[in-house]
Amino acid sequence: MAVTPPTRAELEAIARSTFALLDIDISVLPVNDPAAPMDQARIIEASINILAKEPILAAYEVDGQADATTLYPTPFLEWTR
Amino acid sequence: MTDTVPVVDTDANLDEVPQDKTIDRRWFLARTAAIAAGTTAAAWLPEAASAAPVPLGAHPFAYARNVRPDARGDLTELTIAEAAELIRTGRLSPVTLTEAYLDRIDKYEDIYLAFNHLKSRSELLAEARALGRKRGKPHPLHGISFAPKDNYYTHDMPTTANSPIFLGFVPDYDATCIARLRDEDAIMLGKAQMGALASGRGVIPGTNIPTNRNAWTPDDIRYNPAGSSSGTGTAVAARLATGGIGTQTGGSITGPSVAENLTGMAPTFGRTSLYGVIPLTYTVDRTGPMARDAKDCAIILQALAGPDRNDPRTRGLPPVPDFVTAATPVTRGRKVVPRYRTTVGVPPDFLTVSDAQQVALRRTMLGVLADIGYRVVDVTMPDEWNLLVGDLAETQHASGAHYFMPWLKQDVRLFGPRLDGFLPFVLRSGPGLLKLQQANLILLKRIVEQLFAQCDVTFVNAGNFNRPGLPTISMPIGFGTDNTTGLTVPRGVVLGGAPFGEQRLLSVVAAYQAVTDFHLRRPPDPTLPTLAATTTATARATAALSAAGATSFGGGSALRQHTLAENAKHPVSNTFDPDEA
Repeated sequence: MAVTPPTRAELEAIARSTFALLDIDISVLPVNDPAAPMDQARIIEASINILAKEPILAAYEVDGQADATTLYPTPFLEWTR
Repeated sequence: MTDTVPVVDTDANLDEVPQDKTIDRRWFLARTAAIAAGTTAAAWLPEAASAAPVPLGAHPFAYARNVRPDARGDLTELTIAEAAELIRTGRLSPVTLTEAYLDRIDKYEDIYLAFNHLKSRSELLAEARALGRKRGKPHPLHGISFAPKDNYYTHDMPTTANSPIFLGFVPDYDATCIARLRDEDAIMLGKAQMGALASGRGVIPGTNIPTNRNAWTPDDIRYNPAGSSSGTGTAVAARLATGGIGTQTGGSITGPSVAENLTGMAPTFGRTSLYGVIPLTYTVDRTGPMARDAKDCAIILQALAGPDRNDPRTRGLPPVPDFVTAATPVTRGRKVVPRYRTTVGVPPDFLTVSDAQQVALRRTMLGVLADIGYRVVDVTMPDEWNLLVGDLAETQHASGAHYFMPWLKQDVRLFGPRLDGFLPFVLRSGPGLLKLQQANLILLKRIVEQLFAQCDVTFVNAGNFNRPGLPTISMPIGFGTDNTTGLTVPRGVVLGGAPFGEQRLLSVVAAYQAVTDFHLRRPPDPTLPTLAATTTATARATAALSAAGATSFGGGSALRQHTLAENAKHPVSNTFDPDEA
């Protein structure tokens, strides 16, 4: 049975809950003020975009033997040649 | 060849190969196999080892053999190589050169706003006088004025990354790059303006009011100097400093360099140290030169490059080769020829951009390269390209987000308009971040094995090459009309190379600059406003800054206040652009 994807409100809740878990307070920002340097609406929008990419990353299949996770690809290629 | 090329190499060994050919055997095998299978061209086998560097102080090509008349008339016009020659031969002193820059800074800096911090005239002249008393042959950077980006640690000046987070922070040591420049007797005039925390355009902390102007549009704040090494770009282009160093995570060296008609390079990851640089990410950040031409770029890179015991990412890598020779044009007779036999790749979208002026400039530039003797070919992009540079292209900001966690918890407003480049990335999952890193390695392999099987260098979007750690360089190719403002502005392109391909990139740009003069053109001086225009500026600026929530940047001369008040009329977009990081 297909899993029902989370709603936008649920993704927003994940973002707000995570920030709270990390003791990060975004309530000090205006709720929605495009003229302000930053507002909660933009943070939530960017956060939802980050979360929405998780299934894309999960679906991308890599060869774990050939393509080891590496922090520094170019030095890694040199160190392992 | 133009008459302005200060030094050429007439005895170059054209069979020499640059370091990129000797680095990765898999890539080399792939390339030779592709050539053998697909073309009748001779395989370009390495016939001579890539040259080791000559010490900068003894390098025959680091000093110009002649100095352009324009530069003799205005010392701030001198390139590093030209100034080095005048200083080496006793015709110019570090004091005189420093004074020339200080005079120009006194006159115009309050309009450009290229610096976050400037050392005092007395401090800088004392440094210059001390250099004048040193014994021995002056090195090429002896007494040369620099505008380092404000995220490099300096023990004698604040290091703020243009963020309230680091307001008043004075490190107790120099970043390795700063230390190496100072070891070569370079003078750090101050700390250059930048996009907050190395992302985006420079704004007054806590606001979206832009700070430094593009040197090419000094009377109009609307045209973007690009970010994030924007102050360094403006300082070098506006002749407030001879050279600079920036940092790049997306396109923060090459972007401002293109916007300001400069030659800027982000070298291969690990080629230069990140020790003592406020990070944006741990995995993608790069340090590198921003200069007026390929030769100056090479001289700076030669000073910066090499292993650093404080930065393990620089260790265990190929030895530093000779960048200065690589950036010296080669002639046969009067004709400029390629130093290394090089195929230049033209990606499918390079000539299909919407701006017809840009297309025309690019076509002309490709013709110039072909006339020099470069092989110019269309290339196809590697497998899964759109995916690898699209959905899988995140610039590892999660690592930066966690570095800044203490300040995120303290007060998210400290991040101003750049908060969306940090905070949301704490949501990236651990497995997701690992997958992104694997994708980066795959991107690197595909570029090396598929794209560089077709060419040696190619025109690129800097971010796509920066993410896996490949070198990029910008070069000016002419001027065009900005569609938004109608202003005439510089145009440039970015070339990308294979791992440790700095020599080849520098050689191509140096050859191009030997037969063109776009890089030598200088922007107009700013128009100084009348006294009447500045009399009410302080009140207006204070009101504008207060209304915008500025947390610092107040004070200064009436001219500075006038500039700020004008800038406040054109707040910048808040959109986070990873290519401006």
